[in-house]
Amino acid sequence: MITKAFNGGFSRRMFLKSSAVTALGAALPNVTLAAGETIKIGFLAPLTGAVAAWGTPGLEGCKIWAERVNEAGGIKLEDGEHKIEFVSYDNEYDPAKARTGATKLIREDGVSFVMMLGGDTWPGVQPVADKTGMLFSTLLPSDLSPDTPTLLAPTEVHPIYLVTGVEWLAENRPELKTAVMCAQDDALGLPSVATYLAAFEAAGIEMQDEPLLFDPATTDFAPVVTRLLSTNPDIVCLDTCYSDYVHPICEQLFQQGFKGQIISATADFYDQIIAKTSKEFMEGFIFQFPDFDDPALNADNINFPDPNGFYAEYNKRYPGQWGAVSWEYASIMELWKAGAEKAGSVDPDAVLAAMQEGGKGQHAFGEAEWWGEELFGINNALVGDWPVVVIEDGKATIKGFKSIPAWYDKHGDLLIKHMTAYDQMWNQRS
Amino acid sequence: MRNLIIWIALAAGLIVLPNVLSFSQQEVLVFLTINILLVASYRLLTLTGEWSLGHVVIMGVGAYASALLTKTTGLPVPLGILAGGMVAALIALALSYPLFRMKGFYFLIGSFAAGEIIRLLWKRFRDPFGGTKGLKGIDPMPDFSVGFYNFDFFEPTSYFYFAAIVVGVCLWILWRIEKSPVGLTFHAVHWQDKLAQASGVNLRAYRTLAFVIASGFAGISGALLAHYIGTINPNSFDVEVMVFVLTWAIVGGTSTFYGPILGCVVLTILNEVVLRELGLEQTRPLIYGLILILSILFMPNGLESIVQKFTRRKEAGLMRPEEAK
Repeated sequence: MITKAFNGGFSRRMFLKSSAVTALGAALPNVTLAAGETIKIGFLAPLTGAVAAWGTPGLEGCKIWAERVNEAGGIKLEDGEHKIEFVSYDNEYDPAKARTGATKLIREDGVSFVMMLGGDTWPGVQPVADKTGMLFSTLLPSDLSPDTPTLLAPTEVHPIYLVTGVEWLAENRPELKTAVMCAQDDALGLPSVATYLAAFEAAGIEMQDEPLLFDPATTDFAPVVTRLLSTNPDIVCLDTCYSDYVHPICEQLFQQGFKGQIISATADFYDQIIAKTSKEFMEGFIFQFPDFDDPALNADNINFPDPNGFYAEYNKRYPGQWGAVSWEYASIMELWKAGAEKAGSVDPDAVLAAMQEGGKGQHAFGEAEWWGEELFGINNALVGDWPVVVIEDGKATIKGFKSIPAWYDKHGDLLIKHMTAYDQMWNQRS
Repeated sequence: MRNLIIWIALAAGLIVLPNVLSFSQQEVLVFLTINILLVASYRLLTLTGEWSLGHVVIMGVGAYASALLTKTTGLPVPLGILAGGMVAALIALALSYPLFRMKGFYFLIGSFAAGEIIRLLWKRFRDPFGGTKGLKGIDPMPDFSVGFYNFDFFEPTSYFYFAAIVVGVCLWILWRIEKSPVGLTFHAVHWQDKLAQASGVNLRAYRTLAFVIASGFAGISGALLAHYIGTINPNSFDVEVMVFVLTWAIVGGTSTFYGPILGCVVLTILNEVVLRELGLEQTRPLIYGLILILSILFMPNGLESIVQKFTRRKEAGLMRPEEAK
């Protein structure tokens, strides 16, 4: 058996079995489920450290989602209903720890699907995905490439959806003509910079300065904001800054007397920003992640069950913790559940095929298409409409949904131009 | 003879060890082995009395050098690892000129600044360093067979055996250096610098030598890491990681060769295995910090002091019959 495993070609099944032999006493992961057996889903994201705000709220949301699904009977496969359970591993946004976590989740816990934040951690996990054939999801489609056939970006097509905010801004406040931008100099910041540059150019908004890239270790944002405001811009763009940056930057903008428009990918825990600044200062702040008590999410085309109830339950359990990712991982699970039920099994290949059948998918914000060949080299990103959210009277409010593919059809060349300039195209990655 | 038996038992234990661990524990074991070399090399520098905040960045220099050399020139991975160590040593030699104009606290801050400059260069120059995303798809160690065992270096067990041999050889060299006249001079540079200088010892040359040797071995540890996980980026070698190295050294103690290694092993097992297994994943930083504070309060001489207490007691026990005569 061992000789066969080592000398033979490495299939996923062979890999799992041989590994179980070499590591004495370790259990063989579940490739198939016994009747009624609980389905385990891996949650491999930062739960501590600077990026935890894009991991922990997602896990909390998933737990609520799982309770609701289990109360309704569970996941309906060919052999009956199965309860669902999440197994988490804190990767601390470190590729080495992400590799360890992926190994544990797949080879010890026997998960059927692994959700990740992605970014810096994905390259550490990719060899494990290649060897095991496990289905993974990421929130960051910049992880996608032709070499990642089992990696999906089924909910958040970061940063492409950012174009919708700028498009809405240009339509509704055409008097704003100049902008400046700052971003942390990392794998999340740079593709967002390229996207915002394309969106501003498409909207006829002039950049007054080169994007100001600051080190991720920055803690004093006074000089950053002073430099941003030195050209007296109409718009300050905060790119995809982590909440640890958005909050102090907003405070500095407030303290340094900025009265113009702010646009950002996220405004996690915006109530805290309002508390540190003022309701008036934050009025009109544009970002992209709605509170799920928004009435606009009760429309028929929204594919997230009972969003208002989900939001209420989340806030009851984790008051003040609602953030951009609170619903996103749960939304990915909705898509995975639909795929597994269609396939009648949790086999990664079968679920993937079922999810992508017909090239369309039921995204949280309406029907969407599997897309991305030009930008990512593979059609594994689910793209459709995305909401534009504005803070009004201290509360996030959806002002409308804009189509990402429609924008791309008109201005895709601009996006490719700026992505290329920042070495962010899939074929430019090292 | 007794020593030979101990070494054979240790080797046998290391061969068996990964096979009694779970898959994820095997992964942790690989990283622990690499970190042992990192912290042991750091101790060599501390022998001269200087504490650096750039050691992890130097580890990164070895990682980047080995990854780039194997990727662009087709250099075999084992030679790339050696080259990574050499490049790290050369960079340390270049840095030593400005850095060893400083001492103590100023050296500490200077080493941090030098490290940050190197990290900024990795970020700024996307070609060849990959910018903030770093490098990925780094060549793995090529698989091979030795007849009775096939080395598949995707598997943590195989990589552990490889890393353990490399780290074992490096530790032996570090040990020999410390016990040599050069090592004794390092101690003198720290504790009796005026006397050493009066005896004709060139303090700066010896500080530089310790810095270069320590950096070379840190570079090897970085290269070992890069060829295992297949990706590196500037954040993998930032000051947060350096804080862990300092913590291992402080909690373990630096007066013995094994002190920092003990700190590294105990704290890694605590943080990566025990606290995770107890389901305390999200509260790990809090508990880890608390344990650090308690250990510094109640064990100011580090974990090595416990071992020393036992070994002294044993030695005293062995002495008594002699003394009775």
